[in-house]
Order: sequence, then C-alpha cells, then structure tokens
Amino acid sequence: MARLLAGRVLSSALVILGSLVLVFAILYVLPGDPTDTILDPAVATPEMVANLRAQLGVDQPFHIQFIRYFEKMIQGDFGQSLVTSEPVLDKIVEHFPATIALTVASSLVSVTVGLVLGVLSAVHRNRLIDIVARIIGLFGISMPTFWSGILLIVLFSLQLGWFPAMGSNGWRTLVLPAITLGIVGAGFIVRMVRSSMLDIIDEQFIVTLRSKGLTERAIMYRHALRNALIPAVTMIGMIVGEMLAGTVVIETVFSRQGIGRIISDALMAKDLPVVQGVIFFSAIVYVAVNLLVDLSYSVIDPRVRRST
Amino acid sequence: MREAITAKAVWRERGRRQLASLRFRRIAAADALLVLAGAVVLLIIACAIVPGWIAPYAPTEMLTDNILKPPSTDHLFGTDYFGRDIFSVVVHGSRDSLFIGFASVLIGGLAGGIIGAVSGYVGGIADTILMRCNDILMTIPGILLALAIAGALGPGMFNIVLAVAVASIPGYARVMRAQIISIKSRTFIAASSSMGASPMHIFWRHVLPNALSPLLVMATIGIGTSILTGSGLSFLGLGLLREVPDWGTLLSQGRGYLTVAWWMCTFPGLAITLFVLAVNIIGDRLRDDMDPKKRRVRG
Amino acid sequence: MKNRYSFRRTATVLIALALALSACATNNTANNTSNNAAANTGSGAAAAGDTKETAADDTAAAQGGELSYALATSPDSLDPHRSGLAVAVRVIRTIYDSLVVQLPDNSIKPWLATSWTVSEDGKSYTFKLREDVKFHDGTPFNAEAVKYNFDRILDSATKAANAAALLAPYQSSEVIDEYTVKLNLATPSRAFLGNLSQALLGIVSPTAAKKDGDQFGQHPVGTGPYKFVSWQENAEIKVARNESYAWAPEIVKNTGAPYLDGIAFKIVPEEATRIGSVQSGQVLAGETVPPQNIVALKSDPNFQLLSANTVGLPYTLFFNLERAPWNDAKARQAVKYAVDVDAIVKTLYLGTYDRAWSPLTPGTFGYDATLENSVKPDIEKANALLDELGWTKGADGIREKDGKKLTLQYVDATPNREKRNDIAVIIQQQLKAIGIAVNVEITKDVRTVVFTNGAYDLYGNSQVNSDPNALYAFYHTYDPKGRASLSRLSDPAIDKLLEQGLVEPDDTKRAEIYKEIQHYIVDQAIVLPIYVFPYTVAAAKSVEGIVFDSLGYPLFNDATVKP
Repeated sequence: MARLLAGRVLSSALVILGSLVLVFAILYVLPGDPTDTILDPAVATPEMVANLRAQLGVDQPFHIQFIRYFEKMIQGDFGQSLVTSEPVLDKIVEHFPATIALTVASSLVSVTVGLVLGVLSAVHRNRLIDIVARIIGLFGISMPTFWSGILLIVLFSLQLGWFPAMGSNGWRTLVLPAITLGIVGAGFIVRMVRSSMLDIIDEQFIVTLRSKGLTERAIMYRHALRNALIPAVTMIGMIVGEMLAGTVVIETVFSRQGIGRIISDALMAKDLPVVQGVIFFSAIVYVAVNLLVDLSYSVIDPRVRRST
Repeated sequence: MREAITAKAVWRERGRRQLASLRFRRIAAADALLVLAGAVVLLIIACAIVPGWIAPYAPTEMLTDNILKPPSTDHLFGTDYFGRDIFSVVVHGSRDSLFIGFASVLIGGLAGGIIGAVSGYVGGIADTILMRCNDILMTIPGILLALAIAGALGPGMFNIVLAVAVASIPGYARVMRAQIISIKSRTFIAASSSMGASPMHIFWRHVLPNALSPLLVMATIGIGTSILTGSGLSFLGLGLLREVPDWGTLLSQGRGYLTVAWWMCTFPGLAITLFVLAVNIIGDRLRDDMDPKKRRVRG
Repeated sequence: MKNRYSFRRTATVLIALALALSACATNNTANNTSNNAAANTGSGAAAAGDTKETAADDTAAAQGGELSYALATSPDSLDPHRSGLAVAVRVIRTIYDSLVVQLPDNSIKPWLATSWTVSEDGKSYTFKLREDVKFHDGTPFNAEAVKYNFDRILDSATKAANAAALLAPYQSSEVIDEYTVKLNLATPSRAFLGNLSQALLGIVSPTAAKKDGDQFGQHPVGTGPYKFVSWQENAEIKVARNESYAWAPEIVKNTGAPYLDGIAFKIVPEEATRIGSVQSGQVLAGETVPPQNIVALKSDPNFQLLSANTVGLPYTLFFNLERAPWNDAKARQAVKYAVDVDAIVKTLYLGTYDRAWSPLTPGTFGYDATLENSVKPDIEKANALLDELGWTKGADGIREKDGKKLTLQYVDATPNREKRNDIAVIIQQQLKAIGIAVNVEITKDVRTVVFTNGAYDLYGNSQVNSDPNALYAFYHTYDPKGRASLSRLSDPAIDKLLEQGLVEPDDTKRAEIYKEIQHYIVDQAIVLPIYVFPYTVAAAKSVEGIVFDSLGYPLFNDATVKP
C-alpha cells in the first residue's frame, strides 16, 4: 500500500512537471506579450515596448525563460506577476480559498442532487419519474453555464433578492454559483448512479436477497444504493476537474474572486508566472483529489481493499 | 424520497401479473422520448443543411426600424439590436454551431481514439509515455486549453474547432485504451493469436470493431459538449465573429439584454440546450443498448 | 484572511467615528471656500452632468455613509505611473492629486501647485507648490517629492506605462527651494500642462514608493481626498476619507475632506448584473451603463443616470493610407458616403451616444463645430465614385477591377468593448450595398496585426486626451524607424500644422490651426469618426454630488449618500 502510494505520488509529480512544461510552451507560442496589457499600443513607442520587454525578461528565448522560472520555482519562489508585480504566491493564497469553497459547495450540490435523482430514476426504472429525473439531470449538462448563471442571478437576486448577485464573502454568495456549477456535475452523477444501481439490481446476490423475502425497499436502499456509491465517488474525482475548469466562466458571471478568473486574465495577458503558478496548484489539487478517491474505494468497498 | 417509496409500494402492489403490460408502457415512454430527441436533432440538422427553406428572412438583413422587437407573428423569436429576425439568425446559425460540434468531435475523437488504441494495444513503454502525456493534458482544464489555443491561433472557425477538439482528446484516449485492454484479455483474441493470426490482423479484425462502440457513444455526447465549450469561448471573448453568428455568439451577445429584451438570449440558449439535451438522450440510449448487461435487463 | 479583513473593517469604523467627531469644525470652513470655488468654476459644474449641486451643499445632513460603486473591469495597478487602464484611473483619481487641474473649458487651474511660470522658450516650467499638503503616510509634499515623481516615471525600473508617454518631452527637474520646482523639457509643448493634470501623472508618496518598490501599486499612497484601505483583487477596492484633506481643486465645490466615510469599488464585469444590482439596491452606483439600460433608467423615477462625454479623440475608424486602393481619396470618400453612421449610432447605441463628426471630440480645445452635419449618406455618390475609379460590379455584386475584387480588411480587437465588433458587422452590410466585400478580422493581438504588420484597411481607435496635440501621434508623418501612425498619413502641409499647433502660444491662432487640420482629415476621408463615448453612471436617487473632471472621470469630493 505504501509503495503503491509512493509510486502514485512520484508519477503525479512527473505529470505536474509535464503540465508546467506544456503550459510554458503554449504560452510561449501565444501571440503578443504582457506589454500589450501594460502599455496602450496607441501610446507606446517601440523603445518603451522594448525596454519593458527587457525588464520583464520576455525577450529571452524559450529555454532561458523556462530555466529561470524553474530554478526559482524549486526554491519555492513562484515569481511575480509580470503585469502587476504582485508575488504569485500571494495571489494564489488570496484567490484559492474562494475557489475551493465554490468547488466544495458545488460538489455537495452535485452529489446530493445527483444521488437523489439517480436513485429515483433507478427505482422507477423506465417510468415517468425516471424520465423526468433523467431529463432534469441532463438539463444540467446541456445548458451553457454562463447562461444558466445569469438566469439564476436575474431571478433569485435581481427579482426576488434572496441572494447577492456578486462577491465571495459569506455562504450566501456561494448559493447561486454553487447551484449553477453543481447541476452540471449532478447530470453526470445521475447517469452513473442510475446505471450502476440497475446493474446491481440484476446481480445474483440481489436476486438471492429478494428470494429470501427482503422488501424491495430494503434491497434498494440498503444494498443497491450502497454498491452504487462507489462509481458515484469515482465521479467526484472527475467532477473536481470539471469544476476547476467551470470556475473560469462562473467566477466572472458571479463577480467572484478565484483562480478561474485570474488564470483566464493571466492567460490572455500572457502573464506567465501567474498562469504557471495557478496551473501548478490546481494540478496538485486535481491529482490529490483523484488520489484520495482511489484510496477511498478501499474504505467503501471491501473487495477493493482485499485486492490492494 | 417519500414519493419514491410510495411509488415503490404501488409498483409492488401491482404484482408480477401486470408486469408484461407495464413493461410495454414503460418502454413506450422511453421510446417516445428517444423519438422526440431524434426529431429535434433531425430538425436542427435540416436547419443547418437548408436554412433558406426554413428561415423567413436573410440572417444578415438588418431592419433598422425594427430593433429589439418582442416575439410576434412577423418575427417569431423577436428581433435583436441590429434589427435582425432572431428566428432566421438562429436557423442559419445552426450551421456553424453544428459544424463546431461535429468537426471537433471528429478530430478529437479520431486523435484520442488513435492515441488510446496505440497505447492500449501496443502497451509497454509506448503506453506509459502516451498515458502520462494524456494525464498532463487532463490536469489542465479543457476550457483553459481551448482558451490558450484559440488565443494563440486567433478566432477563426478552424481554430475554434481545433481548440475544442484538443481539449477533448484525453477523454477519448482514456476510454479507448481501457476498452482495447479489456478486449485484448478476452479468450477469443488469445485463440486467434494461437491460430497464427498477425497482431495487425487481430487488431483490425477483432479488437477495433469491438472497441469502437463506447467511443461512438462518447462521440455522440461529445457533439453536445463541444458546442457548449464553443459557446464558453464566445463568452470569454474568443468566439467567432462571422457574418452569420453561431448560437454561442448570439447567446453571448444577447446576455447583456436579458433584463430589457429577454428574447435575445432565450431562443439561442434554448436552441443550444435542446440540441445538446437531445444528443445526450440519444447517447444515453445508445450506451444502454450497446451494453450487453443492460440488454438483458431491458428484456 | 478573514481576520485581516475584519480587523480592517474595525479599523475603518474607528477611523470613521473619529472623523465624524471632528467633522463639523472642518466642514464649516470647507463650505465657505467651496462656494467661492463654485463661483469660479461655473461652466465646470454645468458640464459635470445633471447632479443636484444645491443638495450637496447641505453637508451637515449628508455627512458620512459609504458609497458602493460597481466598476466594469478590474484595475491592473493603483500605481498611476504604471497603470494603463481607464478603469484604474477611476480609483487612482480618488487617491492621488495632480499639480494642476484642467477645467471643462480647457483652462488650467492650480491644484497641488499654486502658480507657475513658463520660460520664454517654452522649455521650462517653474511651479510654486502648496505648503500645507501631506501624503496619507505623513510624508510632507514638497519640491523634492515632485522631482522624485517625475524622475521615477523616466526610470525604466519603474516600468512606467502611459504615464511615460504623457510626461514627454520632460527631461529633468530642479529643486529651487522647498516649495518651488522647475521642470525642464527637451522641446516646448503646449500639451504639457494639460497632461500634468491627468491622473496618470498624479503625485505618489516618495516614502511609500521607495519602500514598496514594485508592490507600490498594491499599497498606493498619495495626497488625494481618499486613502487606500484594502484591495481584494477582482472583487473590491476600499478607500476611506482623508480627514486632513484641504486642497481640492476648484472643479469640485468641497475643498475640504470628502463627505463620504469611504467608497467601496466593487468589480462586476457582467453588464446585466452590474446594472441590475444598482436597480435591486445591492450597490448604490454602477459605471458604464449599456445603451439598452440607459434608455430604461432614464424613464425610471427611482434612479438617476449621470453621464459625461469623454474628451480627446472619438471612436474613429482609420484607413491605412499605405494600402491600395484605399490610398486613393475617392475610394475612401465612397466608403464615407456609403457608411450610415447615424444608423449605427441609432441601432447599436439607441441614440445614447453622440455621433462624432470630427477627428476631435466636442470639448477638446480647437474642436470645429462647423463640421457637424457635413456628411450625409449618399449611396449614388458612393457608387459613382467607385465607377469613376473603374471598379465594376461582378456577378456576385462585388466590384472588380483587373480581375481583382474590391475588398476591405476591417480589423478590430476582442473583447467586444462598447459594441465595437458590432459596428464592423453593420459596416460589412452597408458596404456590401455598394459592392465592397468587407473581411472582418477580430484579433486579440492588435499590436502585431495593426501596429507592427499594418495588415488592415480599416481599424478603429479612440483616445482620452486633454489636448488636441493628440492628433500628432495619429496624423503626423511617422519616423520610419519608429512605430507607424494609425492613419500612416504623410503630408508635409499637415506635418507643419501639427508642429505649429504643438508650440503656438496664441490660443486663437492655435485653435485655427487645429480647425484646418480637422477639415483636411474629414474632406480627404482619412478617417470615419463614429461616436463620442459617454462615461455613464447609474445611481440610486440617494446618491448626490458625483461630478466628472474634464476628461470624464468621476470625482467623489462632493458626493453624499442620503441614509
């Protein structure tokens, strides 16, 4: 188990390193550079641009820029934003909590809604409830999130005034964005829970239980559901990735702080240290969550525990 | 929950004698949904192929005296801030939206499928390297990858397709690889191998055909996902700007008007949602039907 | 994190309490002077939008309160010398003061400088400074501080942005005595004083700037009416009243400390949310109101709409005069007659933006009002001009000559700011009518496509500027080794006029020079002026006293919030 874990951590480290190189390469070929954001092109003279480029070090060739960055990074220095000179680590410390809060809240929405709808759908297989539950689930996957987000704002904030339309302080600001992002994940979970519950219902051991005279209710909720939880947990690992991606749009729509917003801004401005820093930390979160998910199988499912 | 339990009780009460007729009704309902979804998809594909037959106005026609008019019999979906008939623009816009959906799935699915197939079938070092690369792509959220690519190449139709396609590669590669590995281990493969068939022959004759179906299901659903990613790019300012706007661009342009002219983003939004929903329903059904276990369940 | 913010909040409350206690005394004197100032300004207050000036005088009742103000985008830096974004200027203006102020009638008045003299050759400016000014951190404001500021902009380590361009042709400073400073220019410039009035040349605290170095933009310290409190990136910037403030320029009435306890600038990028949150009472004011909401707000009795036209160059479409066939004036005039600017302004901006007629905006010194209504769309004339040039319509309705189609490469930037991309969409249709195929290219990389490669026939730009010399950078023959101008115009007569305009000491003669330039540009159809951008603010009725400076930036010295 420990060796397995060590192996996973090592390969995860390689993956993260790889993603840093990839992002660096993508950013290198992106047109323009941070001076476009800092200097108004209609005002700046070529000398001003050249001076600033030299100041920022973006006039250097690819490998020198990367080596410079990497040397500092292994010493724990993630550099400064090229646009604002703010230390990247400060930026991440400032923005990560809001994104984590949103991701956790959205995952809760996903799992709750997904489980309820998924179970309803499996229990009432192929009936109206099933179809309605699945369509509700699918709606979450089918709507562009920036649209559903704005609709929620207009209805629940601007019209009804139940929740604030903006900001990232306090749980009330979390409700609407968490629902917007959460129903996307819920759609995937409904699908997963339904199909795995149906698989299990037809398995031999459930047939045996039924023949022993256990009520359908007991079979469904005690046995089928429990077994269906495993794939649902697996989904969480995947959903976290989706959600980190979803924050790019959601944080803008809901005027929230968070890494989604700074990374899309930084990407557009070619603010390399910021993009690298955020990718590094979100890759760690992504990898860590998936590692945890793998480990949690053995807790939920005894069969996995034995085999590892 | 309570509702579920009572419904459950009702089901038990009816007993097994009614099962046959019940099953008939259930399947009919599910099939009706499938037919409906199919109809939506066909209708929208028809819009994309022959928009001129369906749309009453030219999509570029700007009726400057008729801007921001609510839906009416003249303008079914109302008019936008250029004075264009939104119904006509949505009908014509389906072409670019569908193109983004289908083309990026084709490219992404093909690339991902090849990577997954090579990785799974060849195995060994090739597998390790390809899968680590795949993991690297997976750690970078798809929309960011698409954003970076669209930013690097500039906003053009092909660039958007490529951006969306690249972001979808890792998913296809994973599924394909898993499928190939599971087929490789089956007895009939070992059997034909022992009968002297070449690995290439086995791959093309036995492994690939059996591995394709989950990829096809994924691709079906992927058409919807691609359209959504494309509209996300429009929202972030890296979408297309062509003479006839696609749905994502329309929705993105209309969102600022939600409180003064709700129809501007509602109809393009509904078009996207309905199409993606329909594609998902079809994809789900395909998945069920292709799964041998489910086929037994369905009876 | 949480603790830090709540600590700050407590601190703010304490400061506010202290301020409230000492408020009465300061305000009595402040009121007297402010009345005088109002008398002097006159036109300034009128141009500052329809705000209830009289009510703002009733300070005793209006004292206190926090104004929440929604911004459309996130400022990049609050270091005036490094920022390049208009949105940052809205906040920067509350924290920093300038040496001089420009009134809406284009006259320059004292601010941190009480008086100044210009040398005979126009190459040195000697400023007498106020002696009672202190920065927020207690550092005294003096000649040394001014010298430090301008030298800081020249220092490449500062990574100065637009401030460096504004400061040109500044060379050096000499400290004459504690409160007298002499600025030396390389060449004379009539634009210099106006530029000094801009917020981007605001005076920063030398102590703080030296201490924080690169990070100064996150911890700004100036002499302005508000002190910086906190900045949650992408969410909120807070400033609080500078209690010792007593040196407001005469463009506002209240020369003393502002009435508000503070301002919370919230960053709300989505238009619908930004304006909706004003309407639903979640914020008291929000900037950059989209045209569709302006119309609705104007008829809503519960809200007010404040607006000020920006000054400088309006949004103008520049032809690239180095690319055929648009290097021919007749071809450009055909486009001028085919483009219906009124239709663009009417549909896209619902008539809420003013149409531009000249390469300068009304309100800029030397603006020629006779150009208004000088152009009418005339499709026949446009067609005739193109026929004359030998372009004949092909089977697809697009004109051809010698087997080449008549195309126009229209470049615009993303994101779609002020619906500029939509202008391209309309012009594409309008020019199709006279047989020109418009290829619209939307790019993120304007610097390469437009400025480096010059790969455009038509490209739009605008510039907020305090002086008509802004035209120099756009229409003067460019240095072949330097950056090309947007129009790429090269006409010795215009060059000479632009050079004269920069130095001409006599205002009447100077205005005539710029009128001649404007006429030439419009007649030759070197550009298509489209619209004058109004800076708009939607606010609750309880908000009063927000005024705008000569460039259209909001000032909060007189602002009050009725509880």
